[in-house]
This record gives sequence, C-alpha cells and structure tokens, in this order.
Amino acid sequence: MKLVILVVEDDPPVRDALVADLAPFGAVARIEVAESAEEASELVADLGRDERLALVLADHRLPGRSGVDFLVGLSGSMADPAVRKVLVTGQADHADTIRAVNDAGLDHYIAKPWDPDDLATVVRDLLSRWVADQVDDVLPYLAHLDSEILLPAVRRHTDPD
Amino acid sequence: MEHQTRTRRRYGAVLALVAGAVPWFVTIGDLSEAGHRQLSIFLLAVVLWVTEAVPLHATAACIIGLQVILVSDQAIFGVPAGFEAPPYAEFYGALADPVIILFLGGFFLADAAAKFDLDRNLARVLLTPFGDRPSRLILGIMVITAVLSMFMSNTATTATMLAVVLPVAGRLPPGDPTRVALALCVPVAANVGGIGTPVGTPPNAVAISALSSAGYDLTFLDWMVLAVPFVVIILIAAWLVLCRFFPAEVDTLDVRIESVFDRSRNATILYVTAGATIAGWLTEPLHGVPAAVVAFLPIAVLLTTRVFTADDLRRVQWHVLWLVAGGIALGDGVVSTGLDEWFVGLLPLDDLPALALAAVLASVALVASTVISNSATANLLVPIGLTVAASAAVAIDPVLAGVLIAVGCSLAMMLPVSTPPNAVAYATGSVKTTDMAAVGAVVGVVGLLVFVLLAPPVWEALGLL
Repeated sequence: MKLVILVVEDDPPVRDALVADLAPFGAVARIEVAESAEEASELVADLGRDERLALVLADHRLPGRSGVDFLVGLSGSMADPAVRKVLVTGQADHADTIRAVNDAGLDHYIAKPWDPDDLATVVRDLLSRWVADQVDDVLPYLAHLDSEILLPAVRRHTDPD
Repeated sequence: MEHQTRTRRRYGAVLALVAGAVPWFVTIGDLSEAGHRQLSIFLLAVVLWVTEAVPLHATAACIIGLQVILVSDQAIFGVPAGFEAPPYAEFYGALADPVIILFLGGFFLADAAAKFDLDRNLARVLLTPFGDRPSRLILGIMVITAVLSMFMSNTATTATMLAVVLPVAGRLPPGDPTRVALALCVPVAANVGGIGTPVGTPPNAVAISALSSAGYDLTFLDWMVLAVPFVVIILIAAWLVLCRFFPAEVDTLDVRIESVFDRSRNATILYVTAGATIAGWLTEPLHGVPAAVVAFLPIAVLLTTRVFTADDLRRVQWHVLWLVAGGIALGDGVVSTGLDEWFVGLLPLDDLPALALAAVLASVALVASTVISNSATANLLVPIGLTVAASAAVAIDPVLAGVLIAVGCSLAMMLPVSTPPNAVAYATGSVKTTDMAAVGAVVGVVGLLVFVLLAPPVWEALGLL
C-alpha cells in the first residue's frame, strides 16, 4: 500500500514551499498537489487501488469551492473517515474555522506564514497516528515516522517469536 | 519485493503439495502405512514453514486437521491395520494443552501490563539505578529487557523497550556508535531473555510439552534453574561485545525518564494478580500446584473483575497459541505413528559421543531458525530430537536434548529475518545488517558453547538430568 499526502493550494509559490517542506516524507508517501477543490476531488477519486489518502493539507481560499468545503466533503458518508485533515491558511474567518473543526473533523490548523519545523512536526505526528491506526505492518514506516507512536502498534501486529 | 513474496508463496505452496504427495506414491519398506501418512503431513509442514507460503499459524491448523483425518481413530481412509490410532480428540486437544493454557496466562499478564503501562513504568523505574554512563545504561537496558522478556513475548518486550530507548539514542549526535549499541542491545537481550522461563518464548513451550508427553515433567522453576544462569552468562558476553564493537564517544547519556504508575482499581488488581501468579509459578516446590494450573488464576481473575475486557480478549495473540498447538499435535502424531523411530533409524548415530550429539542438536536448531521462524523450527525438531536422545545408540538425556533445541532456536539472531525482535530493531533504521550479523554471530556461538559445554555437567550436578 502507498500513502498519499494531498496539498490543495492555488498560489504557486506557497504550493511549492509546502511541497518543499513535505519533501522529507517522500520516503513514506507520494505527495500530490491540486490547485482547486475540484481538482483535489478528482485526484482523490482517481487514486490507485493500492493507494490510500492519509493526509490533506488545504488552503481555505481557493478558486471555486473553498478548502473548508472540500474538507467537509472528505468526511462525508462516502469518504474515508481516517484521512487526517490540516487547514493551512491565513484567511479563514471564525465561522469557517468552527465549521472545519465541527463538520470536517479538522486535526490541525496551521496559520500562514508557517514555520517549516512546526509543519514537519505536525505532519509527522498525524501521519504516524494514521499509520498506527490503519496499517497492519508498520515496520516499513518505523525509521521515517515517530517510533514512539508506532511501537505500540508493532506490539499488536507481529509474527510469533 | 511484493512480487518476490508472491512468487515465493506460489512456489512454496506447489512444492508443499508435491512433498506431501510423495509418501502416497512411494512406498518405503520399513515404514508403516500410518508412518507414510504422517510423513506426508510432516513434509508438507516442513515446506510450508520454511517457505511461509501460508501464515505460520495456518500451517499449524492444517497439521491439526490432517492428523485428525489421516492418523486418528476418525481417519477418513480408515485406520491402517495394526495401528493403534490415537483418539481424534487428542489432536484437537493440542489447542488446550496445559502448555497452551500456561502461555495464555502469560499473554493475559503481558497484555494487561501493556494496557496499564506497567511494563514501561517498570522498565523506567528499574533503569534509574544504572545511572547515565553509556556502558552502565546499556547493561541496565539489557537486564531489564531480558527480565521482561522472560514473561512477555520477545517481540512485545522489544517494542516496549525500544520506545524507552530510542528517545535516549535520538539525543546523541548522528553517527555516534552508542546509538547502534542502544538499538541493538534490546533485541539481543529480548531473544536471550526469552530462554529464561517456560513462558518466555514458544520454543520453550514446545520442548516442555513434548518432554511432558515423554514422561519428563519440568516445573516452571526447574526450567528457570536450567536456563537462567546461562542466560546471565550470555547476556554479560553480549554486553561486553556491544561495548567493544560500539565504544562510547560520550561520557554521559541524556536519560530523562519519568514513570507514573497507574493507581486505578483495575491497575491495582493487575499488579496484585501478576505478583500472585508469578509467585505461584516460582514456588511450585512448596505447594505442588503446576504452573499451567496457576496460569488460570490471571485468566479467571482479570476477566471476572473486567480488568481484561471482551475487546482485550479478542486482541490476544491467538495465532501464536495456534502455532504452538500445531507443533504439539505434530509431535504427538510423529511419536504415535512411529515416524520418529523410522527417521532416527536413518541417522548415522552409532558411536556418536553425547557431547557431539548435543552440539549437533543445538547447532541444527540455531542454523535452521536463523532463516525460519524459531517456533516452527522447534515444532519440527523437538519430536525428532527427543527420539534421537531416547534411542539406544546414544546416551543423552531427553531433557538435555529438548532444552538444547529450544535454546538453539532462541540463539539465532544474526539477520533481521532471524526473529521478529531483530526485524523491529532493523526497521528503526538505527542498526545495519552487518552490525546485527557481527553481534548475532558472537552471541550465537558463545551461547551455543556455553549451553553445550557448561550446561550438561551443571545440570547433572544439580540433579536435573
């Protein structure tokens, strides 16, 4: 199984900066980018059979549907409830943010401009928790993600001595 | 990688069926008909366990099923003339063998300990007196890992201890040799520690069960007296090797560990139950209650008090118990059909000195389990090894044979695939295969020498053989 991290951001320099900051996770996940909520939805629908969306980092203000709308859609009835969701924005107002938390099950809010180290910490934590919950064999992720989160899962799913 | 796995599984399955079919078409003069049937099951099991074409526990399930339909009193092709077929319930009974119940009790304690963080808190408290000098701390980690591993599975212990150790290693500069030593000392100590008690690791259970069927009953304490002194020697040797291979470049380590014991009602019930169970196991000579009987105490108490819930019960590693049960059933079938006698007859045993035979048994177990599962190796070797020991041509005590095979299985730790604790440590990215192979080879050879040369005279002097 391949993990996918999806970045939804319309502003090219910001998108490139996000992708650059996510580069360390390239060893465990494929990083996909979309310029709009619509494009992001298509990408999610087109994921390969052995791929799973693990994490979305979405801007709020996008052409067409907003980032929060996209995240709310992701947690709808047909969606994969395990996907971890992060809002990366400078422009979401109070009401948008509340909706993202209540209706989309937002996992984290990152305000622009962000500190690359903070972003990496948040992504590492969320990806590790996703892997610990969703993956049977966590050993391939142990060297790249948070071992303190993954080791209890190792304990659950191992071969006999 | 995934493609290779698929190919291996496909060829493994085909090869297993071919191997299992051979005894149905080739008649071996001095082997009974029941022996032929059992040989078919045995060959199938060997190939499936070596290739892992199907999961290890699935092979065990096939063995139990095949023994019932081929060599029990319910055999579907009829019971061969002159063969006293065991009742089919005996093969199914392997799933509730006293050793399985002993393990189940151990699993209850270990799982509940993990639930209330008892294992990690104990590790932290016990580590404090070892201080923060690298070599002392590594010794402390190894001692605690080995002790926990005597009562929990080697893999669970490794996961628990690495969670304690990796943050310490992470605060060292990249490339510091102590980082490797810290990550490698955990699987080594877990593998060696597993040798220490009957519930430490499945090969011990397989040996104890087979010995019990052959009329040699070892108590929990007997096993510990047999094994623990040599576990201590091997641990010290491993520690010296690790300190030698990965000399510390820093004077002190940033340990920073806190422990907060859960003081809730449920956690307290667990502490008391675990203490009482282990005390019961260690004092069998005083009260005479067998360990497998004491093992039901945690099962009954933790379920009744709801410390162990239905969810916890579902999460028990039943597949490990199935694997051991498959080994018990296989051993039972091999002995009752006389396949073991026939097999031993093929071996050139005449004039083989006892010492050489002991060395061969332990070495074969060590080499085989370097590449295949320790438990599967024990399942295949123990029944034959015990019969070898009992045969007239040699003078070696069956207890010695059984223990040496189990120990040999646990001493195999050269490769990441040798045993799950190694796989976990390797997966952390802190340990290179060459480092693991070097340390594993030294520990394997030292361990083998200690057990083959030192153990028999000591055991004899103690009256255990």
